[in-house]
Amino acid sequence: MEKFLLLIREDLQIRDKLTPAEFKHNIQIMTRWVEDMARSGNFVNADPLTNSGSYVGQNYVLSDGPFIDAKESISGFILIRAESLEQATSFAQACPLVLNGTAAVEVRPIMDMEQKPWEKWI
Amino acid sequence: MDLTAPIDPVDPIDPVTAAVDDLYKSHYGKIVSALLTSFSDTTLESAEDAVQDAFTKALTGWTAATIPDNPAGWIYTVSRNGLISGLRSASRFSAPIEPGDRAIPDFSGSLFKDQQLRLLFACAHPDLSPKVQIVITLKYVANLKIDAIAKALGMTTDGIDKLLLRARKKVRDDGLFLLDPGNPAGLRHRLPTVHKIIYLIFNEGYKPTSGTDAVNESLCEEALLLCKDLLDHELADNATVALYALMLFNAARFNGRTGSSGELIDLDQQDRSQWNRPMIALACDYFRASRGSRLTPYHFEAAIAWLHCSADSFRETNWRLISRLYLRLLRMNPNPFVELNYAIALYFAGGKDKAFEVMHGLLQQPFMNGYYLLNAALGKLYLLDGDHTRAKKYLERTLEQTEHPLEIAFIRRLLENVH
Repeated sequence: MEKFLLLIREDLQIRDKLTPAEFKHNIQIMTRWVEDMARSGNFVNADPLTNSGSYVGQNYVLSDGPFIDAKESISGFILIRAESLEQATSFAQACPLVLNGTAAVEVRPIMDMEQKPWEKWI
Repeated sequence: MDLTAPIDPVDPIDPVTAAVDDLYKSHYGKIVSALLTSFSDTTLESAEDAVQDAFTKALTGWTAATIPDNPAGWIYTVSRNGLISGLRSASRFSAPIEPGDRAIPDFSGSLFKDQQLRLLFACAHPDLSPKVQIVITLKYVANLKIDAIAKALGMTTDGIDKLLLRARKKVRDDGLFLLDPGNPAGLRHRLPTVHKIIYLIFNEGYKPTSGTDAVNESLCEEALLLCKDLLDHELADNATVALYALMLFNAARFNGRTGSSGELIDLDQQDRSQWNRPMIALACDYFRASRGSRLTPYHFEAAIAWLHCSADSFRETNWRLISRLYLRLLRMNPNPFVELNYAIALYFAGGKDKAFEVMHGLLQQPFMNGYYLLNAALGKLYLLDGDHTRAKKYLERTLEQTEHPLEIAFIRRLLENVH
């Protein structure tokens, strides 16, 4: 099995309008989704992110980052194990925030550094 | 005694509705896949539409006296006619094809069973996530309607629709329902996935996440039926047998898990006389038959369930052996839920310090930190240990972590004992 990073990209305009009860409910349904992945042995790790931080470039540091004005922001990440990109995508499609239209999920394969493809060049 | 006398009608549902419901339950997926086999250029959506229409026609057109002798053949023929008139211009195919037509496939006997299994293995496609595999298995193999699937999995019908929409594309692009049933070797490598689907369906029924019932017995029943069908086939191996034993051990204890008003009861408070002894005996038979050179996690889980079932009381349970079996499971397959169960078993086996150490280790994982079961278990064990301050802390945290009324009521009852 390979590893994949699922980045939860939430629509901030929708997120800002959520009531505390809706926000809590979203956390609950996301927990259930992650729980399902853990029970089937595919879950590795996950963390939610706050909507603040800093943004650092070669010649600048933006303490509030571009997140404040952004339309979309990464609100969490989940690391999973899956058979293939296809299957990882299938996990993302069942994300409850994708199903209810408040988020998109970016699925990115983790580069396998164990394989050391450069070894054959030495 | 006159055996031909009609049985008293005790069921108020009208016979046509009952017959159509039964037929849907037993044949929906099979007729859809039979159509796909006969019409290679049709899509899954149009095949399904045609079958749905045929069922509607049966519901409105049949009367108790005119239910056909071969109802599945009737549905197939009407679906096929509908599909043909949809595919080609109606003029050439306007003449209805009479039921009893030569092309009606045999929906009984061994071919029938093979087709069911073929669909089950088709649903175990490696490109699909376990959740999507479960949804399409419930739809095409167990023949549940979308609202029933949504209710069983605690999802919205819209969510199920969206998952199905994408799964159907996969079914169509890969010809998923057209696998060759005459080639069991080609299917064998999917057997572990099929086992997993069956067990996940059972667990969906076993955990109280949807509705207000503690156990959704119909889902557990579907899983047992699927597993039994698989057992009767040459594709089954000793993991299939162990899985069947495990599910029977768990199903046998349904009646102890809830009280008279539907409330959740923890294992230490359960009335063991309510457990289904004949079912436990049956599970023991399968467990014994599951011996083999290769032991799977299902074997270890079944062994743990057997130890619970054969203990006279909570106190007399062999917790030492159970904790060691959980350790074996952990080594095969690291998983935070198994680790939690390991810690709980350790606590009752007398290893309290180690148990709390493992659980606090789990708390360091962000997902587990906010997870209801871990915090509830910590609260309960601290309560048993007489540490009311910590018990209160963890039990109160769980009230923010679950929305399930039965779980909230369970925690509130525990909190009543905290001073």
